[in-house]
Amino acid sequence: MRIIVHNAKCQGHARCWAQAPDIFKLDDDGYILPGDIQVAEGEQLLASQGARSCPERALEVDRTSAARFGPAAMQPRTGEA
Amino acid sequence: MAINPVPDHVPPEMVRDFSLFTSPGMPPTPNGDPHAAVACAHDGPPIFYSPYNTQDGRGTWVITRAADQRKVLQDTETFSSHRSIFSSILGETWPTIPLELDPPAHGAFRSLLSPLLSPKRVTALEPAVRERAIALIDRITASATSCDVMKDFAFPFTVSIFLRFLGLPDQGLDTFVGWAKDLLHGDDVERPVAARKIVAFIDELATNRRKDPVDDLMTFIVQAQIEGRRLTDGEIRGIGVLVFVAGLDTVAAAIGFDLAYLARNLKDQELLRSEPDRILLATEELLRAYPPIQLIRVATKDIDFEGAPIRKGDYVSCATMIANRDPEEFESPNTVDLAREHNRHAAFGYGPHRCLGSHLARREIVIGLEEWLARIPTFRIKEGTAPITCGGHVFGIENLILDWS
Repeated sequence: MRIIVHNAKCQGHARCWAQAPDIFKLDDDGYILPGDIQVAEGEQLLASQGARSCPERALEVDRTSAARFGPAAMQPRTGEA
Repeated sequence: MAINPVPDHVPPEMVRDFSLFTSPGMPPTPNGDPHAAVACAHDGPPIFYSPYNTQDGRGTWVITRAADQRKVLQDTETFSSHRSIFSSILGETWPTIPLELDPPAHGAFRSLLSPLLSPKRVTALEPAVRERAIALIDRITASATSCDVMKDFAFPFTVSIFLRFLGLPDQGLDTFVGWAKDLLHGDDVERPVAARKIVAFIDELATNRRKDPVDDLMTFIVQAQIEGRRLTDGEIRGIGVLVFVAGLDTVAAAIGFDLAYLARNLKDQELLRSEPDRILLATEELLRAYPPIQLIRVATKDIDFEGAPIRKGDYVSCATMIANRDPEEFESPNTVDLAREHNRHAAFGYGPHRCLGSHLARREIVIGLEEWLARIPTFRIKEGTAPITCGGHVFGIENLILDWS
């Protein structure tokens, strides 16, 4: 699972960070750091709760297979077509 | 007070008899529930025109859906925040800062002030906030089994914390609360008098801090630089007035409404008392159910918005208390569910003007409830008394006599 971060929409409510401070990192002003977030297997519930508490809808949960396995998994392995 | 006429471009069928100032439950009401009273806005169309919905008698479009309020408040190009709400009381037009500045001018001031009220900074303030709450409650329990929560706890607690932040002594507390009361709930004579006192006071404080700097907000502002220059006297005044007004009334009102709810709902009171870990999440639900603020924007151009012919200069109201009772956003919106999850409420607004003090406000409410519940046994509203609530520019609760004898 991956959290897509729409940085321009973040207004510093910090609700994601309040739910899951280890997953959602803030800058010194209290706004989310840029970049999508790859979520580890055991942290999916917490991450999804954090994302779903954003009043601005700045965080999007991506559960596609690409998101599940991460960008590395999408690279063809050596020897594969 | 003169009520402004409905503009010609507003279709008569879109006008609805509704006002946060005059509708049933909005004037001072014993045992009132103004938030529930305005939730009736959802019985009608998603957008309508209210002919009298500001302190100065102007009409506004009323946006009832949370999703539409989000659109309005995030679109600062179409919906300006420059309303001169404070200075217009004096017949002037200067903005409070950063609230009444639009991007991009807004950004530099917001960045200047954001670190002062960031989650990290607020965490550092927490011990002082808790100490203040405990001292006030201990003083109450030492001599009584009943008190007026607004007078004896909510106001002295929230106002003294913010006075310290601004750099003002506690001795001024009663005077400042009096000014805020006149400004926000007073009549046409009281409001300009209060506004003038506040401006004079902020100007004088700025002058003093320039001469004798100390470690406080006003000193920080008079020494700060924006884009390589010092702030002008007008900018300093705009910031000082906003911080002064924003901190005086809102958090105290929230704590009052929250404790009134718990006094009337003993199961929930018991739940939070026996499992204080729940207070953090419960506070979000209480912020959803009892937010104090209506946000107003001014259309910068003609736009047809979700079927409403909004024209340049029209006022557009995003009342947080209406968004927070939107059935399309919240399941059973009129039920207070202290365990509600994913609580994306609008108590602090949406968009770039999201309440700068929201993190401090949250901590004050959480700590206030934690310490109150830890120190006061089961409390009820004192028999024979009725808290007086009111709607308006800031929803409020004037008195709340609790009894735990």
